[in-house]
Amino acid sequence: MEPSIVELKGITKTFQRGKEPIVVLDGLTLEIPTGSFEALMGPSGSGKSTLLNLIAGLDRPTQGSAVVAGANLVSMSDGELAKFRARHIGFIFQAYNLLPVLTAIENVELPLLLTNLSKTERRERAQTALRVVGLEERMKHYPRQLSGGQEQRVAIARAIVNDPTIIVADEPTGDLDRKAADDILNLLERLNKEFKKTILMVTHDPHAAERAGVTRKLDKGQLQ
Amino acid sequence: MNLVLIAARNLLRNKMRTVLTILGASVAILAFVMLRTVLSAWSTAADYSAKDRIATRHKVSFVISMPKNYIDQIRLVPGVKQATYMNWFGGKNPNKPEQFFATLAVDPTTIFDVMDEIVLTPADRQHWLEDKKGAVIGDVLAKTLGLKVGDKFTLQGSIYPGDWEFNIDGIYSAKRKSVDRSTFFFHWSYMNDSLPESRKDQIGWITSRIDDPGKGADISAAIDRIFDEKDVQTATMSERAMNLGFMGMISSLLKALDVISIIILLIMMMILGNTIAMGVRERTREYGVLRAIGFSPRDVGTFIVGEAAFIGLLSGVVGLALSVPIVELGLGRWLEENMGAWFPYFRIDAQTYVMGLGLAIGLALVASVIPARRASRLLVTDALRRVA
Repeated sequence: MEPSIVELKGITKTFQRGKEPIVVLDGLTLEIPTGSFEALMGPSGSGKSTLLNLIAGLDRPTQGSAVVAGANLVSMSDGELAKFRARHIGFIFQAYNLLPVLTAIENVELPLLLTNLSKTERRERAQTALRVVGLEERMKHYPRQLSGGQEQRVAIARAIVNDPTIIVADEPTGDLDRKAADDILNLLERLNKEFKKTILMVTHDPHAAERAGVTRKLDKGQLQ
Repeated sequence: MNLVLIAARNLLRNKMRTVLTILGASVAILAFVMLRTVLSAWSTAADYSAKDRIATRHKVSFVISMPKNYIDQIRLVPGVKQATYMNWFGGKNPNKPEQFFATLAVDPTTIFDVMDEIVLTPADRQHWLEDKKGAVIGDVLAKTLGLKVGDKFTLQGSIYPGDWEFNIDGIYSAKRKSVDRSTFFFHWSYMNDSLPESRKDQIGWITSRIDDPGKGADISAAIDRIFDEKDVQTATMSERAMNLGFMGMISSLLKALDVISIIILLIMMMILGNTIAMGVRERTREYGVLRAIGFSPRDVGTFIVGEAAFIGLLSGVVGLALSVPIVELGLGRWLEENMGAWFPYFRIDAQTYVMGLGLAIGLALVASVIPARRASRLLVTDALRRVA
């Protein structure tokens, strides 16, 4: 049994809507073993993205403890959380979120600007990441010159370029057709099996969830 | 690649908006440079005043005249090397009364000893000395009026009414660029002899050259003491103070120009602030992405401030580049030729260039502070949800 890379205990997350508190996550406990590929499913508003954000260090729980990659996220400052994300988290968004003014390789290089690597080393690493996702020949293309599937592959290259501990993917195939979605899922599977990356993927698509080793279902702020 | 490069590339996203913003801000810089140059050109005469010259006028105001014989007593004051006198004549070109140039009735025997920055050939000087109806004019004025040595010219008097005919005996140039080359000098005696008895033998002011600039204050005090007990008392001051006194008459206008230049800069800051705020609003989601992948709030702020600095720099460079042909070569030359009495040397000085560029960048930075602060304080999760 692999040790847990994500350990959440009694997590509650409450948002204020006007004067009314909305409980999105309600005393949730979760452990994710290192090297696993897990899918998180549930209806809209069930708290999937909120849970993903907490694990990724984008948000803090209202209550409970959250230890990810050995770091206690609850006690960290904003600056420490930013460093944590830079070191341990690779993000894949549904809408790709590439910077339109940068080429594919520059987008992939972006997280490396936060490291002490030289310009050449950064470029080499970004090229390697693009090679892994099969887009080395498109590295000088701007996002507008790429298809949706290619954009998402560039986003995946950006997510893995700093060799993160965990990859978090929020509906990574949500904007893609079946063929492109399969390519992305194959790539995520490969990253998990070949490169031993821990992947947590939020999805609505049962076909996508089937590709993950474990599927967890969230409803009304609690895991089923 | 670095954050500065990304900031620069962001400017190309909405090319039309960027171009219009830079043009708007550069026009503001151009207007600022023009007004500052007007102010500095106006004060050039004061700045370039001779240190070894003092001026004596009526104690109340330089528009009130004083007896001509005062100059004889001033010449006897220890430290005074030479003195000359003159009157403001206020003559106009009858064909173009709106055309402004200084007309001075002067003592031709001493004027060039005291005002040695004026250059006139010895032959023309001698010719003028011998011709009571003769006049010497600056080369810029000669060009404006289309006059040459030997021509005749009539001035229409305003303070001293009537038509006054002159022979153009000489055309002067100057040793320094700050000297007004649009003045019309003629014999004081020609004017005096034509006046009624009640107005005769009165002079406007006396300019003296002294042997030691360090003793200017003592010599001035000594001159004024001579006339303390007389009906007409005097006020003697450095030439610079005298020139500043002339400028004092238009101080409200100068202050107004100062205020206008500040207003122009504020407008420029608002133009830049609006563009930066629009860009930040449109790119909120991207800032969320940057934050998500590990950039700090400070990095995001720096990113926005860097973009603003670029806009400011480009606006400043374009504004100053436009200033050279428009202000210095176009307007400046026209003013020197047509309003040389007010603007003998209308050029943009180095300080104005530095100030223009510095303010363009500085104000762009100030304009970006609020958008940068807002963007850096956004919650990452909120920013990622934002749709442009």
